[in-house]
Amino acid sequence: MSLASGVQIADDCITEFNNFRMSGNVKGDKTKFIIFKISDDKKTVVIDETSKDQDYEVFRSKLEAARDDKGKVAPRYAVYDVEYELPGEGKRSKIVFISWVPSNTPMLWSMIYASTRENLKNALNIPTSIHADDKNDIEWKTVLGEASGGKAGK
Amino acid sequence: MNPSVPPSAAEYGGDEVSAIVLDPGFSTTRAGFAGEDTPKSLIPTYYGKYSHEGQEKLIFGDDIFVTPRPGLSIHNPMGRDGIVEDWDMAEKVWEYSFTSRLTGAKPGNPFQNGLNDVPEGEMPTEMEGVESDEKPLADSPLLMTECGWNPTKAREKTIEIAMEKWGTPAFYLARNGVLAAFASGKASALVIDIGASSISVTPVHDGMILKRGVQHSPLGGDYISSQIRALFKSNNPQPITITPHYLISSKTAVDAGQPPQVNYKTYPPEKAPDASYRTLLEERTLSEFKECVVQVWPGPSKLLSPGPNGVSNEEVARSSPGRPFEFPDGYNQIFGVDRYRVVESLFDVKAAIPDPDSPFPAPTPAQTVPELIKNALNGVDVDIRPHLLANVVITGASSLLHGFTDRLNQELMQTYPGPRVRISAAGNTAERRFGSWIGGSILASLGTFHQMWISKKEYEEHGPNIVEKRCK
Repeated sequence: MSLASGVQIADDCITEFNNFRMSGNVKGDKTKFIIFKISDDKKTVVIDETSKDQDYEVFRSKLEAARDDKGKVAPRYAVYDVEYELPGEGKRSKIVFISWVPSNTPMLWSMIYASTRENLKNALNIPTSIHADDKNDIEWKTVLGEASGGKAGK
Repeated sequence: MNPSVPPSAAEYGGDEVSAIVLDPGFSTTRAGFAGEDTPKSLIPTYYGKYSHEGQEKLIFGDDIFVTPRPGLSIHNPMGRDGIVEDWDMAEKVWEYSFTSRLTGAKPGNPFQNGLNDVPEGEMPTEMEGVESDEKPLADSPLLMTECGWNPTKAREKTIEIAMEKWGTPAFYLARNGVLAAFASGKASALVIDIGASSISVTPVHDGMILKRGVQHSPLGGDYISSQIRALFKSNNPQPITITPHYLISSKTAVDAGQPPQVNYKTYPPEKAPDASYRTLLEERTLSEFKECVVQVWPGPSKLLSPGPNGVSNEEVARSSPGRPFEFPDGYNQIFGVDRYRVVESLFDVKAAIPDPDSPFPAPTPAQTVPELIKNALNGVDVDIRPHLLANVVITGASSLLHGFTDRLNQELMQTYPGPRVRISAAGNTAERRFGSWIGGSILASLGTFHQMWISKKEYEEHGPNIVEKRCK
């Protein structure tokens, strides 16, 4: 067991994520991303928001706007369904795990989010992950590159 | 608030435990309560030893600096590589770090502490439990930190002391590299720790140390001090001797570069402290010198390299305005290019100032910061190298040297022009000096951390080796 905060993952997070993962073939009315946060009492990872918005910039600005209960910049975790097309191979989609810990986050929350990350990532069982601490790290190009293993978005 | 109403559980922090966090370094030992911003107890890891009326006496904490007692010698229980050498003394120094300011002395047996009259002929009957009452940490869980290359034996010895000597109800041993990475929000990072006795590079991936990549070398703050001493010997206009305050009875202000005008205090040989005491106090002046004067050549190329316009970097450095420094004896001068020279060998061994009397052997190229990083990266999977380079975390008090981060950034960008290199270093001095302590403080204060602790019961069942299984 490696060093970890011991913060629990709420059952909701897993259920909601599994629904999201299974909804792969449903057209149109489909979840695009889930944002998770650690509750203010620092005990559980909970769902902050589930959205069907197809516009990546909406997702990105939601991460950037995240604040804690005192109105300070706050980290988040997220899963995003990245869709892309490879020439000659057709459409693909891949779910990416993102940890967003902006560099000006107070140390308390940086520590808690960093030491809970592996637990959540393992509970959701997502192999592809991105760590971002400034907004350039969550540009569409970066996320697309990571999801496609560098094949798309060049 | 009405003082007769006890604070509610929430104000006490609910189920949060008042754990103690102990971060032992070579130069200082940091201890404090979990949940606090900085360690309340910051003591030198050095201790003093002298004999008084035929008995050996020990001094701990800041008291070691104060009085030049006859025969006082200064020692350190840690080895220069960050691993404990003298366990008996390490235990005493660490214990002092929390009993002196945090837990206080435990109350003794009321019948024997001299404060109560013992009725004649009646001896106290209930003597059981007296011994466990005396253990200093019986009420506080303890989180300790360690370096990434601490051997199994040392880890087992540490939990043994915590459990058996101090009686802690719960224990955890955390790698300081992982704590530093987490404290900057990262589960994967290349942690560069510039300490007093050693510098280290620790690759951390998904919250785990990649042991094969861990690198360390002795070119830390104390090595820089030895370089400054070497510089002082050959200084212009005159060699500089550091005379600590305790050897000075009076002084007169002199102009820059003029010989000091000073009256010395003298100690007859039987009253004089050991040479190690003087060295310790000289080191304090050197620390001040490092904070006020020493500067890392900003790059992009090395100090000894030719600069862009055919003018050597050294020439450029020479023409920049210097920084003044006054020594305890009143001698003062402005330090120009020399303030760069004393640290340049952290990056370029050719720049090391030779000194045959130095306790440090001349550095080898493999010990420099850029080489340690190169070797650390070569020791890890090629796929994660770009992630590590994008998440370089700098910590340790000696990394506060003026210009260190900028230079390191230049060096890394030259060595790794392809991948994105990004350095994060706390701007706040306390966070840089106490990074691992603060990280441990946050974790140990979390109510949810209780599942990580090794309890006394588990220790008794499994023995000291449990630390290997639980604290990876």
